[in-house]
Amino acid sequence: MPIDPVTVAVLQNRLVSVVEEMGEAMLRTAYSQILNSSRDFSIALVDGPGRLIAQADHIPVHVGAMPWAVRAVAAAFPTPAAGDVYLLNDPYHGGSHLPDLTAFVPVLVSARTVFWSVVRAHQSDIGGATHGGYNPAATEIWQEGLRVPPIRLTENGAIREDLAAMLAANVRHPREFRGDLAAMIGAARLGEQRLTAILAELGEAVLDEAVDAMLDAAERHARAIVASWDDGVFEGVALLDDDGHGATDIAIRARVTKRGSSVEVDLTASDAQVRGFVNSSHANMQSAVAMAFAFLLDPDVARNEGAFRPLTVVARPGTVVWAEVGAPVTLCTSHCSNEIVEAVIVALSAACPQRAMGGWGRRFRIAIEGENPRTRRRFIWHLFQARPGGGGSAGGDGWNGAGEWHSAGGIKFGSIEVTESRFPLFFERHEFRPGSAGDGQFRGGTGGDLSLRLETERPARANTAGDGARHGARGMCGGGDGAPHHYTMAAPGAGVRLLRTKETGIVMPPATVLHVLSGGGGGWGDPARRDPAARAADAEEGLA
Amino acid sequence: MRWTIGIDVGGTFTDIVLTASDGTVTVAKAPTTPQDQSDGVMAALHLAASAAGRDLRALLGETGRIVHGTTAATNALLERKTASVGLLTTEGHRDVIDMREGLKPDRYNLRMPPPAPLVPRRLRLPIRERLRADGSVDVPLDMGSVARALDILTAEQVRAVAVCLLHAWCNPEHERAVAAEARRRLPDAFVTASSDVLPQIKEFERFSTTVANAMVGPIIHAYLERLQARLRESGFAGPLFVIMSHGGVASAAEASRLTVGTALSGPAGGVAAGLALSRAGIGGDLITFDMGGTSTDIALLRDGRAMLSAGRSIGDARIALPMLDIVTLGAGGGSIAQLDRSGLLQVGPESAGADPGPACYGRGGARPTVTDANLCLGYLAVSLGGGLRLDLAAAERAVESLGQSLGLDRDATAAGIHRLVNARMADGVRVASVRRGVDPRRHALLAFGGAAGLHVSAVAAELGIPRVVIPFHASVLSAWGMLNTDLRVELTRSQVQGGGIAVAPLRAAFAEMEAEGRARLRWFEGPLEVSRSADMRYGEQVFEIPVPLDDCLERDDAILPDAIADAFHARHEALYTYALRDQDVVLVNARCAVTGRFQSMGTGWSQPPAPMASRGRRIHLGAWIEVPVHRFAALGVDDLAGPCIIESETTTVLLRAHDRGRFDPRGWLEISVGP
Repeated sequence: MPIDPVTVAVLQNRLVSVVEEMGEAMLRTAYSQILNSSRDFSIALVDGPGRLIAQADHIPVHVGAMPWAVRAVAAAFPTPAAGDVYLLNDPYHGGSHLPDLTAFVPVLVSARTVFWSVVRAHQSDIGGATHGGYNPAATEIWQEGLRVPPIRLTENGAIREDLAAMLAANVRHPREFRGDLAAMIGAARLGEQRLTAILAELGEAVLDEAVDAMLDAAERHARAIVASWDDGVFEGVALLDDDGHGATDIAIRARVTKRGSSVEVDLTASDAQVRGFVNSSHANMQSAVAMAFAFLLDPDVARNEGAFRPLTVVARPGTVVWAEVGAPVTLCTSHCSNEIVEAVIVALSAACPQRAMGGWGRRFRIAIEGENPRTRRRFIWHLFQARPGGGGSAGGDGWNGAGEWHSAGGIKFGSIEVTESRFPLFFERHEFRPGSAGDGQFRGGTGGDLSLRLETERPARANTAGDGARHGARGMCGGGDGAPHHYTMAAPGAGVRLLRTKETGIVMPPATVLHVLSGGGGGWGDPARRDPAARAADAEEGLA
Repeated sequence: MRWTIGIDVGGTFTDIVLTASDGTVTVAKAPTTPQDQSDGVMAALHLAASAAGRDLRALLGETGRIVHGTTAATNALLERKTASVGLLTTEGHRDVIDMREGLKPDRYNLRMPPPAPLVPRRLRLPIRERLRADGSVDVPLDMGSVARALDILTAEQVRAVAVCLLHAWCNPEHERAVAAEARRRLPDAFVTASSDVLPQIKEFERFSTTVANAMVGPIIHAYLERLQARLRESGFAGPLFVIMSHGGVASAAEASRLTVGTALSGPAGGVAAGLALSRAGIGGDLITFDMGGTSTDIALLRDGRAMLSAGRSIGDARIALPMLDIVTLGAGGGSIAQLDRSGLLQVGPESAGADPGPACYGRGGARPTVTDANLCLGYLAVSLGGGLRLDLAAAERAVESLGQSLGLDRDATAAGIHRLVNARMADGVRVASVRRGVDPRRHALLAFGGAAGLHVSAVAAELGIPRVVIPFHASVLSAWGMLNTDLRVELTRSQVQGGGIAVAPLRAAFAEMEAEGRARLRWFEGPLEVSRSADMRYGEQVFEIPVPLDDCLERDDAILPDAIADAFHARHEALYTYALRDQDVVLVNARCAVTGRFQSMGTGWSQPPAPMASRGRRIHLGAWIEVPVHRFAALGVDDLAGPCIIESETTTVLLRAHDRGRFDPRGWLEISVGP
């Protein structure tokens, strides 16, 4: 007899509220700004066989990566015990990139692992040669930070202090690291408690059946959508500017075969891996493809393993999308993730143009380090302002300043008033960047225009990490590309100097003005079909 | 006879509660009139007067005060039927409200079009001026730029002007000068400044709240003027009060200034009722569970107090005023059950509303609602109070047609809808409690609103909540609650951050706020109470937590900073299990609440109706069974055993097997929830 459909619906609602509750706990208790402000973490529930059963909406680039991480833990530790906590970050053991540390708590029924409660959080520092985890100079992973293959952090349910101290000793802010780790474990254990209660209520057998039915429903939903797309073999290419070590126009090539209700994405023709940190790990590549696929479905498709069953991914080790062990990969959750997404969506825009969207922004980060003259303390500030634009689509124009493919409006930049009161920085201007949007029947979102004056008394130093200063967000279905990033700085008495996307040790004298023009989103559809009233409105609004 | 009147305008009905000086209570309901809510209010007042055996003019002539809860601001924001606004803002920063700090809702919906900006960019006009983070002037105010901007707003004929300048939270001088000039040039416009609406740091929240105040300002202002005029024409000479989002009441004049502060005016009455019942001795901490036709509002009451949150979004506007921490679910008795596109059963958020209403209302609704399922299961009687008759056959047809696509028979489909909505309600209670670090099992559920009685026992059982209380007149409880709440003015001042807690400016801020609060309530004849608190966090954190400071502020200046820091550490530990005593503590906002307490209206449910003969009814609880039907507040019946049904004119309650119920002499039903 098939399982009662009401039980399945109740379970699905319940699991979503469990991951949301875990996310809220994480947000409120985390210690570092990248987590409690910019929300760079994700929560997932995965079942024993490694199937994603529920995921909270935080950072889309994590969506497809969690099952690979769980499988790596399960392979290393075949017999988990109640109370265990596992950790990993190593991109060559199921991780995405080193800053993303992931905690796993198993949920057991008589020694069988029924679920994994999983929390992934981007650490503000993970050791390595540069502060903050991004090292554009790295040519091997050992220069990027501390590698953690799957480890068991606990012994008989208690945290192993020696092991935690060893991890903390290898990062720059050990107290912050321990605070964030405690928040991650707390959130994962909260998930464990909630799942245990659900298990007790429904019983293992009913729960297994209900999970299967839930995943099957998501698969049916996804397949019904995919079946409505045109069949065929489609190709898409997206280009990275460079790797910072001499390679330029690095190509991600997606060959997508759509047949019936199935999609195969073949990335094997992508360029060979490069020296710099834009290479992708295997799990991150899988996740980027899954993210692109999810973006083309409907937002109400449950994001679980069932929804991704129509999708298969083919790739080859040694390419930029799947680097061989040892290559640097830290930028990969931004780049080349964003290019993988773009290549897949370019390809499928021929099969389902109404679903494709113009390119979202590329990431170009700056971290400034110096001394605050008001407090005489060292400070480190990460640029999150001047968000790039989102892509246009058949649904309408892109969102101004909504960010990159990999975050899709999930990164918060925080208050300028607070920033000015905490840091020796003065925001002369922070507005949308007119004319940056890719044209189209529906235009992209605009990027940002930021003019920032440094108010230190001594020179500060800055690093950059990003891409997209030559290649803007891609226009789709006849739409134009968004303007690329254009970052400059002007020190007093010196001329205007262009900032490259991968630099370390930039010296910024006091009163330096940083001028950030971030990229616009890609347009969608033939610009000639744009409603003249919309075009007039853009002009009137001062955005054209 | 002297009267006091509570008026609650809900999505479907406008409820009136009249309390007389002899303690009698009269209730009335009339349909809400969304075009002009004052029509429905006047109609309901006529009904209430005749129910009390009075002519309306005579009644209003004897009425001391009227307290009003209105959804006018909420509806205007949700439907974007708001006034045209011009925004005057610091040059170089005119996109703050449209940037939303970089956030976009619904992460996987990349084809979602952006909302129209709250104020179009061409009406977001630059003012040449700039303050620094410490309030000092970097660029002096250029009145020429103000004149140029006001020329444009005059030509555009905006109805409201929002003045939002960077760092105005710590120095309002520029904003005041700009606002004064705007009032001079546009005398008919509603002019509001951010330092007046929400003088606290974080420009997006302050600006968005101020713009929302401007958007609803002319509408609320006009509505309250009209309502007051109609009441005066009908003989009312007393004051009209409005219940605000923070749960206190304010004069109509204050509500007309801080119009966006009425955004939660509707559900606030239910919370006020819960607080009043707490004071009346209902006992223990409560979770209010107000389940109406289209939505359900849930709030926590602990130690006789409601929790406040730092705001929420309504429609596209972020409103950062302190408001009651109410969780609203888009599901109620009118919610429609249907299959989603993956073929799973879903209930809500789509609602049949008042028109056509559930299928059983017989007004053309064909899709099954929660109410239809309850009727099919026998929980609701076909004949309800007020002469309303339900169409059972229509409900059965609607449920059956959904059942066919699910492969279930009618009973199983109706039971499934009932169970699924119970699960959603339980999740909502979990969000309101567990997610705020509170164990719901230590609370009683206080259930009211038209639809709560049939679901609350199952919701309680799912959460392990042992006790449910249902007040008499549960369906109009919010209007009654409004009569039992305090006058309240909430004030806030941000402090310059970092480098420890500076005593002198903090004391000055509290003194200034207290003086301002007392001045705003200077017309009130009773005693005023002042309570003070602060929003604090560790240096590296982002989320502040509220810390009560009344005790600390009694201390000497020398030890005050340590006393405040200790109070914060203790609060942090209580909330999040740990404190970091070696860390910097930052005091972000100082807050002050000035309250004036009205004379209590008592719980006065003094007219329980005559007991009705108990007749049986067949209901579906796993299988069809015959259960007794009891009359609500049938005194002398102090041990009801579930399964059974309990009915009054306006409320129906389902007790499941193993539930026990008894009536309290004060007029409420106590349920001890079975497993």
